[in-house]
Amino acid sequence: MKKVLVLLLASFVLLTACSSKSDNGTSTSEGTNDTASKGTKALTAWAWDANFNVKALNMAKDAYAAQNPDVKIDVQENAQADIVQKLNTGLNSGTTKGLPNIVLIEDYRAQSFLQAYPDAFYDLSSVINASDFADYKIGPTSLDGKQYGVPFDSGVAGLYVRKDLLEQSGYKVEDLQDVNWDKIIEIGKAVKAKTGKALLTQDPNDLGLIRMMIQSAGSWYTKEDGSTPNLKDNAILKQALETYKKLMEADIVKVTSDWSQFVGAFNSGDVATVPTGNWITASVKAEASQSGQWAVVPFPTLPNTPSSVHASNLGGSSWYVLNIDGKEAAADFLKQTFGSNADLYQNLNKEIGAIGTLKAAASGEAYSAADEFFGGQKITADFAKWTEQIPRVNYGMHTYEIEDLLAVEVQNYLNGKALDKVLSDAQSQAETQIH
Amino acid sequence: MRAIVERLKYNGLFVKMFVIMVVSIITVTILTSWVTIRMSERLFMNTFSITNSKVITQIKTNFESFNYAVITAANNVLQSGSIKGFLTQGDSGTIATNKTYYTAIQLMKQYQANLDAYDVGMTITGTNGRSYTSDNTVWPIPKNQLRAHPITINTNAEPKRVMYQFSGGTPGSLNPVIVATKALYDRTTGTLYGDLYIAIRETAFKRFYTNFTSDGNDVVIIDRSGVIVSSNRDDLIGKLNVGLLSYAKEIDEGGLQYKNASVMGGEYVLLAEYLPTYDFFLINLVDKKTALKQLVNTRAVALICAAIVLVALLIVFVISKRLTRSLSLLVRQMSNVTKKNFHNYINVKGSFEVKELGHAYNYMLDELNDYVKRLVETQREQHNAELAALQMQINPHFLYNTLASIKILVQQGSKEKASETINSLISLLQNTIGNVSETVTVSDEIENLKHYVFINHMRYGERIKVSYFVAPDCMDVRVPKLILQPFMENAFFHAFNDKPDGYIYVLVSAEAGALLCEIVDNGSGIEGLSDNGKLPNPKGGRQLFSGIGIRNVHDRIVLLYGQAYGVEIDSKPGEGTKVRIRMPLL
Repeated sequence: MKKVLVLLLASFVLLTACSSKSDNGTSTSEGTNDTASKGTKALTAWAWDANFNVKALNMAKDAYAAQNPDVKIDVQENAQADIVQKLNTGLNSGTTKGLPNIVLIEDYRAQSFLQAYPDAFYDLSSVINASDFADYKIGPTSLDGKQYGVPFDSGVAGLYVRKDLLEQSGYKVEDLQDVNWDKIIEIGKAVKAKTGKALLTQDPNDLGLIRMMIQSAGSWYTKEDGSTPNLKDNAILKQALETYKKLMEADIVKVTSDWSQFVGAFNSGDVATVPTGNWITASVKAEASQSGQWAVVPFPTLPNTPSSVHASNLGGSSWYVLNIDGKEAAADFLKQTFGSNADLYQNLNKEIGAIGTLKAAASGEAYSAADEFFGGQKITADFAKWTEQIPRVNYGMHTYEIEDLLAVEVQNYLNGKALDKVLSDAQSQAETQIH
Repeated sequence: MRAIVERLKYNGLFVKMFVIMVVSIITVTILTSWVTIRMSERLFMNTFSITNSKVITQIKTNFESFNYAVITAANNVLQSGSIKGFLTQGDSGTIATNKTYYTAIQLMKQYQANLDAYDVGMTITGTNGRSYTSDNTVWPIPKNQLRAHPITINTNAEPKRVMYQFSGGTPGSLNPVIVATKALYDRTTGTLYGDLYIAIRETAFKRFYTNFTSDGNDVVIIDRSGVIVSSNRDDLIGKLNVGLLSYAKEIDEGGLQYKNASVMGGEYVLLAEYLPTYDFFLINLVDKKTALKQLVNTRAVALICAAIVLVALLIVFVISKRLTRSLSLLVRQMSNVTKKNFHNYINVKGSFEVKELGHAYNYMLDELNDYVKRLVETQREQHNAELAALQMQINPHFLYNTLASIKILVQQGSKEKASETINSLISLLQNTIGNVSETVTVSDEIENLKHYVFINHMRYGERIKVSYFVAPDCMDVRVPKLILQPFMENAFFHAFNDKPDGYIYVLVSAEAGALLCEIVDNGSGIEGLSDNGKLPNPKGGRQLFSGIGIRNVHDRIVLLYGQAYGVEIDSKPGEGTKVRIRMPLL
């Protein structure tokens, strides 16, 4: 009888063991999800421009991975418009699902995100030291004294010029050093006449040139408060638009429709100059056959505008951490890379020509090195010098909204509408749309 | 070893029963589980294919709505004069060109709004070399390569259709894309002026169905050439799989609900649907192994079955052991029946049947013993009757000779002796004629002997002397009547045929709890008596007093008192004979 009991007990133990095993199965499957979010951290980062921002992010990722092998960073390239749209959609709906941990935002747009979604971004005040970065980057990347962005590249602008084409047209690089746009147009006409090449490209949907022009004179689409439209009776803007029209009428502009045509135009040698931010360096250098034929000259001033200087800005962006799971890991990544790593900035400058805004990086040797592609010109040092001269403006929240309105009116202006009417119409539209 | 064999002999029934039970339980369990699993598998597959065909319908709807958005965008682009202008005009002054560009791009942005939900990149190219791309990252193909690209060539071959084509290995980017294309042509003249490309990343394309997929439940989109354009299994994308295509065609053309097929090194249930607008086949692959693994946990089933079998066997073991134990006990007891003179009654216990069997067996033993008892009784009675009959036959010669002797005594005038003899005869007859089974005391028996001896002395003279030695404590012991007389007679008439005189001693004593009577003479002894004390059978010899012979005496004693008692004769020729009669002390 004893034996029978023992056997029965044994079989019960066996049965319960079986059932408990299936319980274990479900609990471990739940457990793995937990460890996925806690143990090996997987971060997502979004950026645009494969040659520049995405490459920079990948270099930072490699530098970070050397010390933190358990953090996995998935770098995803998206078009900037796409990132903006996805961020807006995600943050508006309140679901953070599908949003990245780290995102690159252009400085022009930064305030519109920070102010529209106050809790969506992670406060990095305690992670990075704002005073380590160029002063002009702090305005767009902070809100109410809290630092939200890790400033990345400088958008300092210059005029990239083809020395060979200029020389064929009877000009030297020295002739372009301290000139205004009227002189540039004049040179453009000569280039067109001599070589048949256009002076520069313009995308009618992108008024970047106008933005650079007005910032060089210390003005913006909005007033100092960042929200009042500043179009009507804005003498600087008026002067910029007049110059723009002059440029167009001179028939020295190659019209492009998108980024690839813009890059394609100077890579294929269709234009003699490229007025834009320093971040284009990598794309310019992508066409190795043009090595030695390029130079960078200071940005031209606006004619008849005393406040205009030979320095301006276009674009430039900063890294932001979304306030979702993994924010601490993401913040640590930024802190150890773009937030403090001067060596990384040296490499970034060497590899892709990126000019960071971390002050500590400027003293590095890469920043004073001569670039053979630009005929031995120390372009980084030049850009750094111009950076100091960039007039500070408040980009506010509505740069692109106003620009969309303005682009329509600019078309009307080009086709004959009176400039004052153009600006007052744009002003009234902006006032209705922006509150 | 022997003990085991012995045990097995008695447990043979149990062993057989148990083995049969074990085999049947295991067989039944295995068969039942197998049939159940098979049935549930079939049921599962049927329901699975029904749900999955609904899922496919849902996926198809997703594809249709994307297609609708694409068609809408394509029609918008095709109908737009500004875009046509942008793609056909030559350069005519910066300002005019600028305006054309501006309008066209604004329109494109507007049209793309229809497709905003789908994460696509729209590209238009014109015969004049102009182009526009909304998002170059989706399909980063250089514009100069686009004109000669097979996708463009295919599109231009069928300008009226929106085509969906797959582009896998784009240089500079490994992202596979699905490109919806439409040739842009003038509807009045029919001349082509450009192409519209709407590229969607495969990762975005698969969102139409990834909600419905799971491990072992895969979706594959395959084009008409057999290239897998999209799948939730990334390793399959871009691969050529003609086998899969032919199954899909078979299902679509045959109107099959589903099909079992072995593809890509596994057993799958295939469901397929043709997407006519895409000219793709939507295939749902259900991995049988994975699906069934989710359905049936073979290990758990096996363990539970094993446990059930184990428990059942335990119960069967205990019960059959119990059932057969009483039976084998019965058998063991029965086999011992001969050993105790049929008095081996069975200990009745166990189940009802076994009890009944025991009762019947015991009843049979009772009957048997009863019968034997009665038989013995009958035999004894018959024997007694025989003895009585013999007893009654007092030899007429004895009476005649005795009476003749008395007559001579009377004639001689020995009145005293004559009356004494008559008295002895009377006493002798008185004690002899009566129930033979009656017992008398030793003293009475000795008295009888004395009377008999006295009569014989009267008749034949006193040349043989008789002496009696009786232990006083044996005087009252009871013995069967006429138990000693036959030996005395024997001694008188056979022991002294050759001798002129002699003596006979009668000794009665108690020895080892038994009564020992000895009749010893010093006559001539008995010739040819075997040493083992076996009694002679004087068949021919006529008894002189009664019909009771010495052989009868032994039989009587054995019959009355058992084998332990009886008569022994010890005789040496020329020296004498010694008869020992052993009887219980009663």
